[in-house]
Amino acid sequence: MRYNEKELQALSRQPAEMAAELGMRGPKKGSVAKRRLVKLVVNFLFYFRPDEAEPLGALLLERCRVAQEEPGGFSISFVEDLSRKYHFECCSQEQCQEWMEALRRASYEYMRQSLIFYRNEIRKMTGKAPCTPQDPLEQFGISEEARFQLNSLPRDEQTCTGSQLGVLD
Amino acid sequence: MKLNKRSVAHYALSDSPADHTGFLRTWGGPGTPPTPSGAGRRYWFVLKGNLLFSFESKESRAPLSLVVLEGCTVELAEAPVPEEFAFAIRFDAPGVRPHLLAADGQVAQEAWVKALSRASFGYMRLVVRELESQLQDARQSLALHRCVFQKSVTGCNKPQAPDRRAPGPENGHLFPRDRNSNGSVEERGSRPVGRDLTEWGLQGPASLLLSRGQSPVSPETSCFSTLHDWYGKEITELRRGWQQRAKGSQPESKQQSRP
Repeated sequence: MRYNEKELQALSRQPAEMAAELGMRGPKKGSVAKRRLVKLVVNFLFYFRPDEAEPLGALLLERCRVAQEEPGGFSISFVEDLSRKYHFECCSQEQCQEWMEALRRASYEYMRQSLIFYRNEIRKMTGKAPCTPQDPLEQFGISEEARFQLNSLPRDEQTCTGSQLGVLD
Repeated sequence: MKLNKRSVAHYALSDSPADHTGFLRTWGGPGTPPTPSGAGRRYWFVLKGNLLFSFESKESRAPLSLVVLEGCTVELAEAPVPEEFAFAIRFDAPGVRPHLLAADGQVAQEAWVKALSRASFGYMRLVVRELESQLQDARQSLALHRCVFQKSVTGCNKPQAPDRRAPGPENGHLFPRDRNSNGSVEERGSRPVGRDLTEWGLQGPASLLLSRGQSPVSPETSCFSTLHDWYGKEITELRRGWQQRAKGSQPESKQQSRP
């Protein structure tokens, strides 16, 4: 599977949700823990050798499971093979807890679930579906053109809810 | 650079909802040989979140390619041949050529451009916060109608961290308690803090709880224990964050804004 590596490398340079030097051990048997700069950016976890600018690798965090291992340590594995674990060592259980919570929230699927949760809550409160924004950016006065770079597209006054929202119906 | 490709491919094929799918013609991608007619190759594309996958066909069991869409802009494009309905995915990254794609018709083209433009993590977060804010408003108007919540602030719903008075630079807004030691719920209730809280970067039900000091005791809210656990988790982690900030042991990156 090809992928746009350059863009992903550029993403690794973006401001991170969390970043720290942790001990990291790959899933292969007999792998040794090494110090890595670990950086969480959107739904990717990048890891670098501590003094290098280019990431060694990235983990897409969709459908991952984050679990406490020994105190101060956690693991990430993926649903298709939960026994294959990436291990991380933190300097304290507190730091470990922080990372685990951040990683659990760091996926599109998690946000989708939040969306569903809020929609249901609103429905229950108001007895009707939320006036799901045609586009939340609309009210911030950001024009459709600027937002979507749709310079040539005619302005569509009757936009349907975004497909991401529509898919939840 | 390594990538957990097996997991990525598994995610592509999984039953997680696709935000958009359809056939598109592509000229792009490294390693794609040009077709003799220059008409582009037609593949099945699946958009999930900020990831665009392509497959040889609808039935393929392995993705051909992945385009990570963070940081991209989408615009209409001139196709190599007098082809209509083309658009390009452009990145800021140096040395990266735009990905050229073409739909089968204008409706499909518009739908794709819209879907791809909204495919960033940040956008989704915005939508979640918007709904969060609406839920807050719904709660408030419900409270006003019922005159129930004015008195129902319980101690446990207020954050206990004593260092709340020393917010980091990203916390542009102070709690009412900082002005008035009473911290009555009436005071909080009168202020629309929804937007301010989102500026703080608070996510999830915690921000609702903090702004209203309300307990979700409402006959309409089923599964209260689930809600309570959900809120509780967020409160705990926020408390930890405040305590850490107070100790000054915060890792530097926490102060950075999200992309």
